Amino acid sequence: MNSVFSNKKAIMIFVLPTLLLFCTIVLIPIVVSAYYSLLDWNGISKGTFIGLDNFTQMFQDPRALKSIYNSLLFAAASIFIQLPISLLLALILASSVKGEGFYRTVYFLPVLISTVVVAQLWSKIYNADYGLLNTMLENIGLSSLAQDWLGQKDTALAASFIPTLWQYMGYHMLLMYAGAKSISQDIFEAAKMDGASRMRTAFAITIPLMKPILKVCLVFSVIGAFKVFDLIYVLTGGGPLFSTEVPSTLMYTTIFGTYQYGYGSAISVFIILECLIVTVLINKFFKIE
Amino acid sequence: MKALLKKSMSLVLAVGIAGSLAACSAGSSEGKSADKDASGSIKLTLWDQSVGNTDPSAKLLPEIIEKWNSEHPDIQVDRSGTTGEQYKTKVKTSLAAGEAPDLFYGMGGGSFMQPYIESGNVLEISSYLTDDIKSKMGPGMAEAIEVDGKIYTLPVYTHIANLYVNTDLFNKAGAKVPTTYTELLDAVEKLKAADITPALIGEKDRWPGMYWYDIIAMRQAGNEAVIEAFKDPSKWDSPEFVAAATKMQELAKAGAFNSSMFSMSYDEMLGAFNAGNGAMMFQANWVNAGIEDPSSAVKGNVQVIPFPTFEDGKGKGTEIFGGAVDGFYVSNTTKHPKEAVEFLMYLSEQLGTQGYLAGAGLPSWNIDGLDTSSLSTLDTSAADIMKTATSFIAWWDNILPADSAETHKNLIAELLAEEITPEEFCKQMAQLKPTELKL
Repeated sequence: MNSVFSNKKAIMIFVLPTLLLFCTIVLIPIVVSAYYSLLDWNGISKGTFIGLDNFTQMFQDPRALKSIYNSLLFAAASIFIQLPISLLLALILASSVKGEGFYRTVYFLPVLISTVVVAQLWSKIYNADYGLLNTMLENIGLSSLAQDWLGQKDTALAASFIPTLWQYMGYHMLLMYAGAKSISQDIFEAAKMDGASRMRTAFAITIPLMKPILKVCLVFSVIGAFKVFDLIYVLTGGGPLFSTEVPSTLMYTTIFGTYQYGYGSAISVFIILECLIVTVLINKFFKIE
Repeated sequence: MKALLKKSMSLVLAVGIAGSLAACSAGSSEGKSADKDASGSIKLTLWDQSVGNTDPSAKLLPEIIEKWNSEHPDIQVDRSGTTGEQYKTKVKTSLAAGEAPDLFYGMGGGSFMQPYIESGNVLEISSYLTDDIKSKMGPGMAEAIEVDGKIYTLPVYTHIANLYVNTDLFNKAGAKVPTTYTELLDAVEKLKAADITPALIGEKDRWPGMYWYDIIAMRQAGNEAVIEAFKDPSKWDSPEFVAAATKMQELAKAGAFNSSMFSMSYDEMLGAFNAGNGAMMFQANWVNAGIEDPSSAVKGNVQVIPFPTFEDGKGKGTEIFGGAVDGFYVSNTTKHPKEAVEFLMYLSEQLGTQGYLAGAGLPSWNIDGLDTSSLSTLDTSAADIMKTATSFIAWWDNILPADSAETHKNLIAELLAEEITPEEFCKQMAQLKPTELKL
């Protein structure tokens, strides 16, 4: 009895520093942001309490709705384009192909590069005047397709999604690869002896056993999509004409461009709630399965 | 119990992941070091935005500060520079958090500094100023820096916007340097025919396009009408401003601007102009140094002229876009106001005069007796244009309240993209808030 009690104390002491750090840099700012979101405040003078008006304004603001719509599209692209490709790569790599380590490093490399560098790289690829993409199209005789990818309303959104999808593909691949690798070899051997094809092994054994890691990947990629900021900010800044606006870039411009700290905080609170709800939903979904 | 713990832990984790975004907005606590150190000397911190490669101030500032530090062992200045947009964010965050440095650079007159002046974040320096320093200022500068009869800053440079013309490309196309709107359209046509991009706009940052509409509106309606409209926004919806918006769209439709304007940033625009990829650019004289830089391909081939006047317009060529006075401010939280203002006076005059000679900006200080022979023709032509000035209107995004300035820039982007008609543009302009400044 005594030993358990002292054990708990020890646990508490060890956990406390991290908990305090977590509270000061994560929980407190969230609570403070939530409070700011109830104010009409320019960040300098004293704010006035206006209740949930910022949130009502947000759901009537076409620009905010458009940004939410864009982030939902982005989340969908992450789930249906990014994750399947990551899974495919992970499965191929995990099935002991030649040069496994080399490919693993190559696919993971973009994750290590700073997002701003990635954004600069892609903005040069997309450049209308000297960009790699347009030059390539011209060289293969498709110069009619060459265009200002990031400067047009109808291409900018897709063009700004691709770099993020590309960058984090390796990250999800590595998580899934680790999940696939941790499955006991005995099971695969048994499957082989039963004459199961590679495809069948993947769908009947590997993927079902990877379920916990797939859940983690799904949560990460959806949350990542909801709060994407740096890449869009550097590539387009939300433009042209708000066509690539996402909630976080809108939050940035409302706070630092127009001094609406209250409204901007409301957007950040919305992003947090959105992420929380989706996390809970994904957990529920995986439980039902 | 265990399940609850598990649940709450996963909730906390999720909050954490989501919250890392919000945590970014928590201000860092740097720049508050106005304390005496062991040797008893005073330490002042200075923030500025002069870090660009071709920015002459970036070279001059450290030299001036070093000289000051060696001459004033008891008042040591510690400087840190941050580039443009990030600098604005940095200053805003630190001022809001009450952690501003002793001295900091403030964007020329208007909506950037106004809120801080109003809420008392900035030190009023009138009582610290000597007559000697006032007499050294250029004509009209003492009035230009006053806000409600009070002084918060000293001038460093003045900037005015003019049309930069690549004469080499104009000659190649057989086009004439435009002095009227008709000639401008004509030049656009000839340049296009010669496969040359007539004018460059870095519309990704939105303010370069705003400069074009603003000068067109000033040429069409005249400065006086523009000032009236700043005070009473309903006047934005009048035939003159509709005509200005129509001309802006007409230029866009005629292909005057680069087709890649919406993906081109301000920096890329400068790069393109300096590489000779466009024949015209409407910008302020802070671009001079880059054009005259040895790395520039257009060095010596660029002429700076007043923006063309309009046959049907009320504005004259002597009505100037710009004239905003940039300067440094002293924070109200400084522990050494007297010493800070003393340094401010030294810095402003030194940087103002030496910076003019280095081509950083037009002078705000008395320049009689300075050897100006080293100045580029761009600098002297800009200075000559400023001498002819009959009136000034500073950058509109500084005159309009911050959120109206954003709307103004976004509307112009829509106008350029032909998303709205000139009439709709003016209707929406009439919804802006009136200026908080005394014009």
